Amino acid sequence: MNSESLYQFSIPTVLLLLFAFYGGTYLMTLGIRKKNEDADAFMVSNHRVGFGMGAASMTATWIWAASFYAAATSGYTYGVSGPIHYGLWGALMILFIYPFGRRFRKLAPNAHTLGELIHARHGSSSQLILALSNVLGSVISLMVNFTAAGALVSVLSPLSFQAGVIIAGFGVLLYTLWSGFRASVMTDFAQLVALMAIAIVIIPAVFFAMGGPSELVAGLGNLTAEQTNLFSMDAILYQGAPFFVAVLAYAIGNQTISQRLFAVNESHIKPTFITATIGYGAIVIGLGMIGLMALTLGVEPMGGDMNNLIPQMVSTYLSPLFIALFFILVIGSLSSTADSDLSALSAILMADVYGKNLARGKADPKRMLLVGRLTMIIATAVGIVFASFSLDILVMLVFVGALWGAIVFPVIASCFWNRVTNQAFTTSVLVAMVLFCLARFELLPMSGGSDLFFEVLASIGGGVIIGLMVFGFLGRIAGFIAAALALVAMLVFATDFLRDYTVLLASLTAYGASTLVCVVMSLMSRQPDFDFATIGEQVGDYETQRPEPVTPGGQTAAANLATQR
Amino acid sequence: MTFLLGFYVLIWPAITLVVLVVICRAVMRDRRKAKEEQRELV
Repeated sequence: MNSESLYQFSIPTVLLLLFAFYGGTYLMTLGIRKKNEDADAFMVSNHRVGFGMGAASMTATWIWAASFYAAATSGYTYGVSGPIHYGLWGALMILFIYPFGRRFRKLAPNAHTLGELIHARHGSSSQLILALSNVLGSVISLMVNFTAAGALVSVLSPLSFQAGVIIAGFGVLLYTLWSGFRASVMTDFAQLVALMAIAIVIIPAVFFAMGGPSELVAGLGNLTAEQTNLFSMDAILYQGAPFFVAVLAYAIGNQTISQRLFAVNESHIKPTFITATIGYGAIVIGLGMIGLMALTLGVEPMGGDMNNLIPQMVSTYLSPLFIALFFILVIGSLSSTADSDLSALSAILMADVYGKNLARGKADPKRMLLVGRLTMIIATAVGIVFASFSLDILVMLVFVGALWGAIVFPVIASCFWNRVTNQAFTTSVLVAMVLFCLARFELLPMSGGSDLFFEVLASIGGGVIIGLMVFGFLGRIAGFIAAALALVAMLVFATDFLRDYTVLLASLTAYGASTLVCVVMSLMSRQPDFDFATIGEQVGDYETQRPEPVTPGGQTAAANLATQR
Repeated sequence: MTFLLGFYVLIWPAITLVVLVVICRAVMRDRRKAKEEQRELV
């Protein structure tokens, strides 16, 4: 069954929908706007965002346009288990970061970025590596979201792709520019309510319009044995496993998450992140089910483009009102993520680049705000220009996730282990990136021992991922035991096997290599152990900068840190 | 099988509804508390 074309809105209708969405969002931000915004609030609000606003903002930020398209693609490709292998792991990215987030917050209660914490711990080189990875992630995210806006507008109306990209870019910039993160959080709530309400209606609507459960059961005959299997190995190895590998990497490498960890009321971090985990999983897996429905009905994606699956199903089975709701659903999801990316980028440039490196502790809050707003304008322009490249979303997700994989262990270890050095952090990330590229782009032939070398590194990476996840929730001993068991299991099962799964091998190699180098270099270092108490003393608000505290030894915190380095 | 597949598809919007209610109630509470403490919500 194929639809010849998608429903088309007229140009005035689609413009009305876009202007109503962005106009309404902009009006909402007028209620919180201040003539003289506070630089700290521009980055993390008041560090006391409540559970409801925090959970709404975290959920809305983590759901981007790619979530729906990729979940539906996964359902269409891998069948029954497909949506779960996209949505569940995406949701766990939020869950697994909160134990570490509580530690970050304890070390630096008034931080704005994770980079500030790393700057206080190690200095500029490690901080800038983290900041660079954050910037890269946010720029790619912006580009993907603007691309999604252009694609949506062009398939559902006569407007061009570029028109959709430009309207979305300017719309998001318009309401985020003045109040920054505060505007992002405020609008996230409204966007999430709309997004959830529409998802709640659209999923059952498509399901019953296509014939309901009996039609779905009848259509199972169209599926392969793997696609009907809830525990499909194909789905696990090609979709689930690369995502599982990226669970911690996405969370650590994403400033939009760190920003919320530092913004939410400290006592509400756990409920906020657990609620966001459940909310994200339910929405994304639910919309992924539309891909499964399309598969059982034998629908072919229009033009072979999987991103057309959901619009195609909605267009085929539902009335124009639902198509308009779907349109708002996608625009809302991409805008909430894009505004968070703009806020994240501005915070990185304000705090990590200007505050910690250019101003060197003497930051002018007014100038910081200017830096933040200019960053937003430039980032929007870059996102709009880059959007025209239209890259494959799923491949990009895996690639950036692996890139972030290289920094996971050094960042987490730096916050718990006082022996990690700046040199160990920096070198481990660089070595891991080189090895990742060698494996990912197959620059070395996977034979003659190099295959085994990468499999052993990847096995260490697997052990590290499991170990860190268990460590976050159950502590050090359980983490070490889990890591050792996972390492042994990986060495047994992955050897002579993982070489055929390049993406997975390369991603795990990034974790394994960075951990190995970081641990060995830290153990070999003769530097004195780091005093974690100095971090909180060095990272604070910019609007109320205090005189530099003096430690019991009579030195300032910065001098003390310099001695330790 | 029919029931199971139907449940498998529809459980997700049902969970979404529950989360939506939880978040809305929490935001109301946040708003009330912010008003009592005479500070802004965000």
